[in-house]
Amino acid sequence: MARRTHDIDPAEAKAAIFEYCKRKGALAVGVADLETVERICPPGYRPTDIMPRVKSVISLGVGGQTQGAWSVPAKALGYFGSTESRGYTITYGLSFMIESKYGVPSIYCPPDMDPDAGPRVPLQSLKVHAEIAGIGARSLAGDILLHPEFGYMYFSSVFTELELEPDKPMATNPCPAPSCVGMYKQIGRTPCMKFCPVQCLDGEVDVETGEQKVMRYDMAACAEMTQQYETVPSAIMNAINAADPQDREDALFDPDNKMLWYKMSVGSGGLLAQCFECMRVCPIATKAPLADPILRYEAAEAAREKQQTPAE
Amino acid sequence: MTRGLNRRQIGVTEEMIETFGDAIFRMSHNHQIRDGDPYRKLDWDEIERQREQMGLSDGQIAARIGLTQNQVLYIRTVLERRRFHTGHYVRLLELGGGKRFRADRFTPHLNHFAFSDDALALRAAMSYPPKLARKYVDEGWWGHDTLTGWLDRHVAERPEAPAIRAGGITLSHGDLGAKVANLAGALAAIGVERGDVVAVQLPNVPEFLIAYLAIARLGGVMQTIHMPYRAAECETLLGHSSAKAVICLSQAKGYEAAQVMRNLQNQCPKLKHVIALGPPVPGALSLGDMIESELSDELPEPPVASDPFLLLYTSGTTAAPKGVPLSYHNILSNARLGAPEHELGPDDVILSAAPFSHLYGAYSFHVAMAVGACSLLLPVFTPPDLAETIDTGKPTGLWTAPAHVAACMGSGLFDTADLTTLKLVIMSGSACPPELVRAFQAKVSNGKVTQLWGMTETQGGLYSRPSDTLEISANTAGRPSPGTEVRIIDPKIGTPCKPGHEGELQVRGPLLFPGYYRNDAASEAAFAHGGWFRSGDLAVEDEAGNVAITGRIKDVINRGGVKFNPRDVEDLLDGHPAIAQSAIVPMPDPVLGEKACAFVTLPPDVTRADAPTLEALADYLLQHKIAKNKLPERLIVIDEMPLTPTRKIIKGRLQVPET
Repeated sequence: MARRTHDIDPAEAKAAIFEYCKRKGALAVGVADLETVERICPPGYRPTDIMPRVKSVISLGVGGQTQGAWSVPAKALGYFGSTESRGYTITYGLSFMIESKYGVPSIYCPPDMDPDAGPRVPLQSLKVHAEIAGIGARSLAGDILLHPEFGYMYFSSVFTELELEPDKPMATNPCPAPSCVGMYKQIGRTPCMKFCPVQCLDGEVDVETGEQKVMRYDMAACAEMTQQYETVPSAIMNAINAADPQDREDALFDPDNKMLWYKMSVGSGGLLAQCFECMRVCPIATKAPLADPILRYEAAEAAREKQQTPAE
Repeated sequence: MTRGLNRRQIGVTEEMIETFGDAIFRMSHNHQIRDGDPYRKLDWDEIERQREQMGLSDGQIAARIGLTQNQVLYIRTVLERRRFHTGHYVRLLELGGGKRFRADRFTPHLNHFAFSDDALALRAAMSYPPKLARKYVDEGWWGHDTLTGWLDRHVAERPEAPAIRAGGITLSHGDLGAKVANLAGALAAIGVERGDVVAVQLPNVPEFLIAYLAIARLGGVMQTIHMPYRAAECETLLGHSSAKAVICLSQAKGYEAAQVMRNLQNQCPKLKHVIALGPPVPGALSLGDMIESELSDELPEPPVASDPFLLLYTSGTTAAPKGVPLSYHNILSNARLGAPEHELGPDDVILSAAPFSHLYGAYSFHVAMAVGACSLLLPVFTPPDLAETIDTGKPTGLWTAPAHVAACMGSGLFDTADLTTLKLVIMSGSACPPELVRAFQAKVSNGKVTQLWGMTETQGGLYSRPSDTLEISANTAGRPSPGTEVRIIDPKIGTPCKPGHEGELQVRGPLLFPGYYRNDAASEAAFAHGGWFRSGDLAVEDEAGNVAITGRIKDVINRGGVKFNPRDVEDLLDGHPAIAQSAIVPMPDPVLGEKACAFVTLPPDVTRADAPTLEALADYLLQHKIAKNKLPERLIVIDEMPLTPTRKIIKGRLQVPET
């Protein structure tokens, strides 16, 4: 492929890329500084480990749940909560867009796990890309990124040999929200810590500054709650090890485990990382002005009305 | 396998996993600690300092410890697998929609209540033929009835209406509900859980019913122990049932019941608690204190209709006691369906002369609970107390046994007592002489005297209805209760008898117990093909479907190959003016095999010197058209007839002495 980056205005290209992403549904877009990402990530998990000539890491975020979704029973939320595939679609399209428009190699960064390391280790940290690109900051909820306007988003990335001006990380961290600091002062915990179903979150808040002091995350416990793919071999192992034939039968065929087989067979939702309780109780995730699709609609309506109102 | 390599190729041993596993697990991403916000701030010193606490990659861990990357990967994933607990996902099933997780209120699923082995054994005993169970559900006979559900309904709908009257005390449904909740809470606090058996040996006092309902509220199973039973019987029954607690009197007429139970804890190690009603007993809990405990906040989920809730032991007229487990399905469907048949409603006042420790007495309470009627209590039957309770308590329904009625009639107590409030009398517990029914009906001017046949295994199987004629009620135990099937089987050939022919009464239906607890041999013997219960009673069915109980199969006497049922002879002897009660049993004979021996007791005004002779009785019986081969050939006068709590004669205890 011919590389003609010298003909490209980086600022213009960045604007076009951002415009494309937002038109396709991204709420936030940023460019992460490659050197910073490379320095943070361990060997084997750096962008250059996948794409040696990468020059820019583009990160975008798509909206999380609808407002209605936060009010449904958790078992229902688990099925339709994930919207990350929308982000993947946009970045997949963006990588084509960059190549077709600018003639520069680009890839949609695989959001999958590292086949060399097993399912708890991602191939690339989309979180680091987004954080360094300035579209999210680490929260007390197990480092889930939050955005002051867009709340809780799913992120996806494009690596490209197109050189773009990097953005900076966010100047301030919206987590903890003032109400969470208030709760912490009273009970020593924030909502995400208090209501985590497996109590995998812990931490400290500096009550003077209202900033995070310590974040502690028991990812193993979180995985037990959310990573059902790990339950599949465990259930089979339980069945193999069960001495009692009835226990063996239950280990394979009780309703909980039969749901696993069902999800596997039809590729149904809720198979991966479905809990959301820390986000359900997070005021930033659910109530940030542009995280709420209803608020986004109302803002758009207001803008339209303003445009249509004749100048006095 | 790791990256296609097995443990042997990677060079990992179980000892290496043991040695390095925890360190690798903790250095990996599985536990993360972040101080401050160094990534966003690009604070490189902090980022570098925190790398290990934020989680290292396998390669970094390998370099740190001195292992290969594959060894770290293998060991880490082994640890992740071994430390992984399944089942947490189900926590989400109760969250969301406004309900949030509360750690202080959450019990991990592994720590959830589990039925004890004994409780599971009892639940396993509740096995019914699937086709019949389906039929009972389809017909609506088995529903969602539980005592707890019924009590809650009465408390909600008629909280002020009387539920129990005893002496000068009246408990409304509201009062009863509160006391039951208190006691249930107190029982839960001492460790009584779902499926646990709690034995009760109390007379017909309010505390019996409070205890019954409280045990039921916890999902427990009440085992009754009849009041006359002493240490030997109690040890057998408590050992067989594996009861966790027993509720009894502190002492009764010089019998130190609670202390006896305390002593039995050595022989019955599963008996954890003795709860006494009455003065304090060392080592025993106070039932009175527990009923006032106000510990009702932490009650478990209420029981459901398929749960076993009663464990009764047969009155043992033929053999050693057998445990009869009963579910709400069996018992409450029978009571619910029976109440309208007996024409009883919420404004009725029901008195049982029979003890609640027996299913016949308990049936009166079940029917009362079915409709929200009031239970009028007679603690212990004596003829004067029964007459007085009827006179002053003014019941509308009376559960009684022929022996009760005979005793009151014989002493003239029913001549003076006010029986005008009675609209229904049910007589059961033993074969009922027709003359007694007729005589009592003559006294009950505003009501109907009916008969009921039932067993511990069935509760109310047959009964005559208030709308039946006197002759039906006098001569038969009526027709089957709703949902109940009966058949009369010729014991010789095993086929149904024609109307008018005597055979064994067999029963089937939603009321029927599933089988004897921990007694497979007895269960096997008790059921015929198709789920029919062999009652052991002889009966005759008329064309209209009314069934007369004519005796017990085991009472049949085989005199030289000619078998006869002595019931009609006993009825005649019972009507003899110089005999109070009679029972005819077989005695061995070297020539004929068996002959009839009559045991009799005498009325108070007849001395042994004035007792009728065998010859006089033979003349008397012959005058009443009794065949010669059925005449008793030996007469034994005894002071007291061995009786069950429902005043049935225990023929097994009538031992014929050698001549």
